[in-house]
Amino acid sequence: MDNAFLPAGAGLLILAGITSILALLLEVADYFFQDYGDCAININSGKKNLTVKGGASLLSSLMDQGIFIPSACGGRASCGLCKVKVISGAGPLLPTEAPFLSPKELQDGVRLSCQVKVRRDLSLLMDEALFAIREFSARVASARMVTETIREIRLDLMEPREISFKSGQFIQFHVPAYQESSEPVYRAYSIASAQADSGGLTLLVTRVPKGIASTYIHEHLKPGNQVKISGPYGEFYLRDSDHEIIMIATGSGLAPLVSLLHQLAAKGSTRKITLFFGTYRPADIFYRQEIEELGKKLPGFTFVPVLSGAKPEDDWKGETGIVTAPVKRLLEQHPSTRDAYLCGNPLMIDTAVKMFTENGIPAERIYYDKFA
Amino acid sequence: MARFPVFQSPFLDAAEKRMGSCENKVHCYMGDDTRPLSRILAEDEAEVNALGLTHEAIGHRLFHLAEQAKKGLGSPVVVEDRFLVAVEAARGKLSCPFGHPGLFAKTHVVLVNQKTGESLVWSDLSMHLIAEHGFYQGKGSPYRLSPKKIAAVLGLSRASH
Repeated sequence: MDNAFLPAGAGLLILAGITSILALLLEVADYFFQDYGDCAININSGKKNLTVKGGASLLSSLMDQGIFIPSACGGRASCGLCKVKVISGAGPLLPTEAPFLSPKELQDGVRLSCQVKVRRDLSLLMDEALFAIREFSARVASARMVTETIREIRLDLMEPREISFKSGQFIQFHVPAYQESSEPVYRAYSIASAQADSGGLTLLVTRVPKGIASTYIHEHLKPGNQVKISGPYGEFYLRDSDHEIIMIATGSGLAPLVSLLHQLAAKGSTRKITLFFGTYRPADIFYRQEIEELGKKLPGFTFVPVLSGAKPEDDWKGETGIVTAPVKRLLEQHPSTRDAYLCGNPLMIDTAVKMFTENGIPAERIYYDKFA
Repeated sequence: MARFPVFQSPFLDAAEKRMGSCENKVHCYMGDDTRPLSRILAEDEAEVNALGLTHEAIGHRLFHLAEQAKKGLGSPVVVEDRFLVAVEAARGKLSCPFGHPGLFAKTHVVLVNQKTGESLVWSDLSMHLIAEHGFYQGKGSPYRLSPKKIAAVLGLSRASH
């Protein structure tokens, strides 16, 4: 056949096809035949020295060695949490990780550990607080729906039998492969129980439509099942201060704030505390009894549920509208020196942070855990 | 299914590769759809045309409802006396599989048509994929929004846009 009779562009298509096949063959060969041998990982200038088998992601290699980097997506490069600073050995930056990194982070050599493949010796810098994170096996002690969409899971720790965490922090829940997911995934959930309750954890899990993890936890997890978690993670915890406290939560964002209330109650705090909880109708106000019990131990505590969808038949006498509206009134009518703790929908948090800074609460006294 | 002769452009090949890179096939953009991306796009385009709509009009309608839902800051709100909408958040961000720069929050809108009880769920990325790429995701993808279903739930028609 004479190539001169090929239509225009056909040569390009053939070339693209051959290139694609070669790339595919290289990937297959890399997967099956490439042996990177043992690779050394030096962390924080020799504070930890690991030897791992090359070929896996840095995230999973570290996890195999008992170092748990926060990751909410289980290595899919969609959460951008698993950042580490790589001094040497990381290989080229991938297009999958670049969007998550600021110009400063790019300059500093920060990488997404889920996207870095261990192919040679690596040198890393990381927060040593991560060394304290452990993996736990646990048993589901109980499970119940607290609203139509939020399920409370109580876990009893099996090995290790105790966890040390600060109220407000979160754990990563390991969801095994099941019919909706061909591979294990990890998801972050805040701890709702008290930090003094070190033998177990209570989690609140909102059902996300078509979500892999929440579908598993809502529909498949049963009391008696064994699960794996790792933690604790996060910088959202109570700061020492005598300031008045404003807390705002939406949905399962109530979890870490209830844990903070447990801690304040255990300390015998007399600080003025107002917890605003935004939800839809009276039936969606969960943990009311628990919060009222905590309130009895906290003389300065007020609980303010704010309903966006109260109906006349609800006979609701409390606050209505969006959750930030009564907070704004409080800030404007009763100026005071306050700390703010927020958890829940990122839209609520963005709105609240703007409102607080406009009303005299500096950004450094606004603490939040944003589901984003 | 055979992919030759190839009518897909290298651009669509790259997009399809990015979509296919998800190891968890159940929750991939393509779902269990075996059609090539070009055919998925073409068939949905034909469905949209038959409805007398455009991708831009559908995307704009979803965007408008999402903006109304955001006013609830996470709590459900009623829009136009018939749609109960709420913005829900999940940790993380997603990139456009067609290669657009930037990231899309994993927040998604849950809408219930209070008159029919039918519901739709869509993310910030879904709106982008529809309006910019005419991509409603493959059959079997849990986030597929078929043009017919969108039109039915939202009451969209040739005259409505």
